[in-house]
Parts: sequence; structure tokens; C-alpha cells
Amino acid sequence: MPESDLYREIQRVADRYPVRRSAIMPALHLAQGKHGWLSPDALREVADALDLSPAYCQAVASFYDMYHLEPVGRHTVEVCTNISCALVGAQQVLEAFEEELGVHAGETTEDGEITLRTIECLGGCGWGTVVAVDHRYREPVKPEDVPGILEELRGG
Amino acid sequence: MSTPELVTVTVDDREIRIPKGTGLIETALACGVEIPVFCYEPRLGAPVGACRMCLCEVEGMPKLQAACTMTAQDALVLRTAQTSEKAAEGQRAILEFILLNHPLDCPDCDKGGECPLQDLTFRWGPGNTRMHFPKRTFDKPIPISPVISLDRERCILCYRCTRFSEGVAEDMQLVARNRGAQSIIATFEDEPYRAHFSGNVTELCPVGALLPATYRFRARPWEIDNVPTVCGLCPVGCNVWATTREGKVARILSRNHPEVDDGWLCDKGRFTFDHLRADDRIKQPLKRVRRRGFDPVAWEEAAEEAARGLGEAEGSVVVAFSGGETNEQAGALARLARQGLGSNAAIVPDDLDPAVDGFRAPLAAIRDAEVCVVLGDEPVVDRAPVVDLWLRAARRAGADVITIHPAGSIGVSPGSAAHVARSLAEPGTAPPEFRELADQLRDTQRVALVWSGDDHDRGRRAAALAAALGLGEGSGLYVLPRTPNGRGVSSAWRAAGEGRGEEPPEDGEIGALIVSGDEAGYDPRVARLSERARFVLTTAMFMGDHTLWSHLVLPGTSYLERDGTVVNLEGRAQRQRRAVDPPFPDELEFFAEVGERLGLPVSPRPDEPSPALQAELPPRSRPGALSEPAPPPSPNGTGPGLELVTYRSLFSGPGVERVEPLAFQRPRAELELSFADADDRGISTGDAVLVVGADGVGRELTARVNRRLRAGVVRVADEHADGFARHVEVGKV
Repeated sequence: MPESDLYREIQRVADRYPVRRSAIMPALHLAQGKHGWLSPDALREVADALDLSPAYCQAVASFYDMYHLEPVGRHTVEVCTNISCALVGAQQVLEAFEEELGVHAGETTEDGEITLRTIECLGGCGWGTVVAVDHRYREPVKPEDVPGILEELRGG
Repeated sequence: MSTPELVTVTVDDREIRIPKGTGLIETALACGVEIPVFCYEPRLGAPVGACRMCLCEVEGMPKLQAACTMTAQDALVLRTAQTSEKAAEGQRAILEFILLNHPLDCPDCDKGGECPLQDLTFRWGPGNTRMHFPKRTFDKPIPISPVISLDRERCILCYRCTRFSEGVAEDMQLVARNRGAQSIIATFEDEPYRAHFSGNVTELCPVGALLPATYRFRARPWEIDNVPTVCGLCPVGCNVWATTREGKVARILSRNHPEVDDGWLCDKGRFTFDHLRADDRIKQPLKRVRRRGFDPVAWEEAAEEAARGLGEAEGSVVVAFSGGETNEQAGALARLARQGLGSNAAIVPDDLDPAVDGFRAPLAAIRDAEVCVVLGDEPVVDRAPVVDLWLRAARRAGADVITIHPAGSIGVSPGSAAHVARSLAEPGTAPPEFRELADQLRDTQRVALVWSGDDHDRGRRAAALAAALGLGEGSGLYVLPRTPNGRGVSSAWRAAGEGRGEEPPEDGEIGALIVSGDEAGYDPRVARLSERARFVLTTAMFMGDHTLWSHLVLPGTSYLERDGTVVNLEGRAQRQRRAVDPPFPDELEFFAEVGERLGLPVSPRPDEPSPALQAELPPRSRPGALSEPAPPPSPNGTGPGLELVTYRSLFSGPGVERVEPLAFQRPRAELELSFADADDRGISTGDAVLVVGADGVGRELTARVNRRLRAGVVRVADEHADGFARHVEVGKV
């Protein structure tokens, strides 16, 4: 059973904390980067590396929005639907994405390319609606901007 | 310890002087005021203030406060719902919130009648609801293990269960998934909650969400009796309530003894009671008529036959004890053998030297220790489970917990406990790591020394170490016996004659062998003796291989069916009470009958004070001569391959093996191996491996990589180590 790269990377991160289990969030992030999402096996790997239980890792991962407990597409589109964005029409933006992509929020397109999700406040309240495309912010987004964003995403 | 600073706190206009830092819930109680709580439970660690049931008004603070998270400070003025309308309104609102999604299915909930949510709602609740929308629903009940069921609709998210799992048992298997109102209690991927202490969550749950599956629809609170007794399944002796209904045990609950168990129970203690109703339970005396054939006989005839068989042995009698008998049962049998039959030979488990008692301390002292040292190859959690919880509590309280065994913080070869003990006691020539540890221990005031393995020199080796380290007030030595009442049984045996008596003869015919209980029958030494005995008298609860050699088999009783006293690992005598009547006379009555026929009066009731209960403790001193420890195993093993260490799982034994819902807890056919050895052989957890002993016996097991295990050592549970020699070859299939 050779030690995986992920195991070693997590050890390096954990060494920076006085209590090793404090490294759980960066460790989950590393695992997600490697596997694309936090599959049960990925959670088991993190648990093994930090001497925690897989249940505990899953509990932490399920608390936060930016860990994926389901497989996601190659690209992610995350629409903020929190209060400020909601006031300036986030719902319409979300619906525009749903229509263009043919999926509901939380789903991935059939070709496995794009996952559409809603997300809590991204901290861009002055420039709603905020949409994070592959973790890069686009703001403010109006429903009519949606086809352009997607074209850019598919083209690039 | 200095006397604590006293402060003045006012609760509902009543003033009290109380140590600074006392929780406000306790402070109010001391004033005679009850503050209702759900999530508050001091045994689970720091309060979390999750349920908000304890809202109170604190003078000088604008908003209602969760009293459970606050402590007594000078001049603090607290108003509870009794005197503050604001607090009462707050509590009513909280209860309305808690009940928003609660199904209110009390009539068919097993918790109904003994449910804190039900009780507090009656006493403090608003009595109505404004909830007009459909309530949230879940699949229910979900078996989170074969012994625990979860009803998520009833859950009020107090987090008591997950705090237990994370902060007491530290198994971290039961967690809250998701966030906020979406939170649910769950295990990883809905795998069964498989841990030694899982059942405690059913007692902690203040609603009917987590319930013992074995109690589901079995009884109602108004038709049960709760009998206070002591668990008889391991040497801790946890205090329990046996819930009975119509003469049957339906459930076991903890009866908190703060010095022994702190209110926790292991799953063996909680769920094994069903073995009383096992299909192969022996219910009447059986006499062997032909080879391996048994006929039922009347009790009179059985007593006659026993007296004849024992009388004809002419003093050549061996008694094999289980170590689970009460002091009184063991005393009766010992007097029958030693005084009535003129025999002095016995197999007595856990015959510890009285020197061990010089270092007695309550189990709770482990939690207050500064350094805990655990020596021996047997996992503490499998031998005396609650001791493991005390050690974890000590570590959380800041103690240094040092474990010295093949998977310990100091990894040593299997069977090294006696050597390590000598190194620590005489550190002059010891390796540096032990010299440093010995220095540390000598400089420490409160040390807990736990010995979990073979009782080298009957505990004298451990006592010698305790004496050499100068263990004084606040420190304790805990030699974990193998059997529940081995200490009481051995004392009873010693008290019935001249000292310890003799070991059974090595060879030659034996007149009679008395096998007392199933555990004794399971002992391979006893099986070998029975082949040489002219007459074998066995008392046993169950039929099995261990009863087949008997000439006369008598029905045995369980600890739940007996009255008497037992001695736990601390040396503490406790009372076992009869929770249910056995369906036949118990062993004591039978041996009184036999005694009468042999002219030795034995009381049929446990009414004679047991001489086993020693009144005075020996001084804290070094015991007498010690034997030389066996030669140390060489670092790389003397034979080829890996060194095997086996252990007895908590979930092994004649009783627990017969409880179907606990089958998932039985030890798996698994081989634990170190990371280095797994790496060498390209083995990962879950791989099938072939294990071959030096004698060529091979067996396929599943590998589990244990990063704590020392390289060169593999570990297997007893049941799966049959036929393996001390060294094994391991390869991937």
C-alpha cells in the first residue's frame, strides 16, 4: 500500500497546525482537487491521512457549500441567490441559466460539461447579481448576459 | 487543593453562596429551582447551548441568556421562568419551535411516558401550536445499527448523541450532516454504527429519535419494573437498571455510579441480556446415558447422582471456576470441595496477589491522573471497556496517556509487558526511552497504572512497579482481570481452605471434575482435564462442545438471575440483585442439596457474609519475590515471518455469541498489519490475504492496515487465529 501523493500533501498541510485535525478543510480541498468531488473514497483518504473518521470528514464537508458531495461537471456556474442578489433579480438570472442549459439548479448538463448551482453570499453585494464561473466572479449579471457567458465557457 | 472562592448569586430572589464557576443550572438547583434543559449534559463536556430550553433573564443583560452556558459569578442575579414572564415567554416560544416538526406521535413512541420532551412540554409548553403547514417527513425508523433505530422526524437536534460520539467515546461515527434546519443525524454512507459504546446514545437522546431496536414496542413505562443491579459481563462492574416486564428482562439501562462507570455502558453490557432466552438454554438437569447422549432427570436424582459421583472421587476432585460466579456461589462450591470433599485443586482465573490491593483507587481517579500508563497486549476496551472511557477522559483533561504494547504510543513486541515493567522499576540498565519515562513517573504526583494483559506473577509484577514508582495518594494501580468476578472467586476459594491450594494434577486419572459455568467449559485446559476425569459435573447455561464431556449437566444461571456480591477490578464489592427468576433452582440451592447429602451444610441463600470481602487493605508496599520474565522476544522475531498477537474481543463469549442483534459486533475475520509490512507486500485495507502459520496451516483473512501497529507484528482476534503459531507468513492472495 504505497502512500498516495494526496496523503503526503495532507501531511505537509497538517504539519502547519498545532492540532492536526485543524487541517481538515484544506485537506478536503486537496482531495476535491484531486478527485473532482468528495466521493466516499476521497473522504476515506482524508480520514486516513488525518486520523479522523470518514463520518466526521463527511459532516464537515456537508456543512460548507463549496465542497461537492456529488460529482460535478468540468465547469461550475454558481449563482448567488442570497438577499442582495435576490433583490436585484437573481431568480431571473438563475432561470435564464436553467433554460439555456436545460438543467435545474444542482444538476449537471448531460454532456458532463457544466454544473449549475445556487450559492450563498459571495461578498459582492454592491454588484448583484454575482455569478461565479469556475470560481471567477462575473458581476453584475443580467438575464440577457447569460447566453454570452455560456458561449464563452463552451468556446474556451 | 485550595478551597474554592465563594460568590453570591441570586436565583429567583433566593440568595446562595456557591463556588465561583459552578454552572447556573446547578446553582439554580442548589436554590431549589429547576431550569429545564435538553442539550445540557455535563458528562458530554463543555455546554453548547444548542436547544435554548434553559433561557433565563440575567440582570444587566438585555436579552434572554442560555443559562447552561453561564457560570456563577459574584452578584449575578438570575430570573428563571418561575419569576420572569419574559423568560417564561421565551421558553414557551422555544418549545413551540422545537415542536414545529416534531410528529407528536407519543401514543406509539417507545419513549412516551419517560420522555423529557413530553414532560417538559407538559410543564412548560404553550399547549397549542400555530403550525398550519405540513410537517417535515423522513423515512423511519432507520436502523443506524442492528441495535439502534433512528427516527429523524422526532429528532430535535440537541446534538447530545454526536457530542457523545465525538467527545466521550471518540469514535466519531455518529455525526450531524448538512447545516441549519437541514441537519440530520447520520453515519458515514449509512454504514452501521459499529463501536463499543454506541448504545449510550439511546439513553442520552431526550426524545424518541434514537431508541434501542431491541426494546421497540416491547413495553410501556407503567408496566415495567427497574431492578437495580450490577453488570456481570466484565470486571468493571457497571451499575445498571434491569428493566423487566412480566418476568422477562426487556432492557438494560445505566445506573450512574460516578466512581465506577460515570453512567456509561458498553454495548455488551447493554444488549447481551437476550441470551437468557437463547434456544439452546439448558432448563433441566441432564444425565449422560450413552456416549454423547443426554436424558433429562429430576432434580432429586441429579443431586443424588452428583453426591455419588463426587463422593466416589475420594478427594481427587478438581474445581474449574468461570470467574463469573458470585462470591457466595464460589464460596459454597469452594467449601464443598475443600472442606467436604477434601480436595485442594482448582482452576481459578484471576487469582491476583493481595499486594495489588495496596494500590487501590477508584476508577474515577484515572480521569484526575496527570500521567496514565497502559501496559499489556490486550486492548483495554475489549477487556474492561469503561476503563477505556476513563483513559480518554484523562487525555481530554490534559493527562499524558502512554500506551506500551504492539499498537501503543511506545510500540513493543508482543508479550513484553513484564520486561517493560522491570525496565521502569529498575531503570538503571533500561533503554533511554524507558529511563526517561520512569523519571517522569517518579516526578508525577498522580499516576494511573493500567495493566491489561497476562497477570504476570498474579499481578505482583504490576504491584512491584507501582511500589518502585512510589505510587501514593491520588495514584492507582488497575490490573484488569480476565473475568468479571475473578477477584471475588479467587478470594472465596482462598478463604475456604489453606491458601491458594494446588494446581490440577498434570497427568493421571481424576476422580471428579466440577466445571462451574460456560466460561470454564470454554477453557481448553478444562477440556483436557475432562478427558481424564471419571466424573464430570458441569453447570452451564447452554449446550455446546463444552458440555459434551459431562456426566451430569445442570442448568446454570446468568448474573441477571442471581442474588449475591461480586468484586470488580478496583476490589470494590457490589451487590447483584435478581432481576428475573431463573426457571429452575439456582446453583447455590443445588450445591446446598449436594452438601447436605455429603454432610456439609451450605446455605441455599446468599445470606452468609462472604469471607471473600476483605476488610483491611494491605499497605502500599513491594510484593514478595518475583519470577524472572520470559526471555524477551528478539526485535525481528525469532522465527520467519511476522509475529502474531491475538486478543479476545469484547463481543466474544458464550452469552454474547447467542445474541443475534449483536452479531454485527463480533470480531471480523481480519488481519491487522502495520503500514510498513503492508507496504512491503503491496497490501491495502480490504485486500484478501493468506496467512500461513509455522505449522503450515493457512487461512484467508481480510487485511486492515493499522498505522499504529509496530512493524513486524500482526494482530488477529482469537476466533480467527485458530491453528496459527506465534509467527505467520502473510501474502496477498
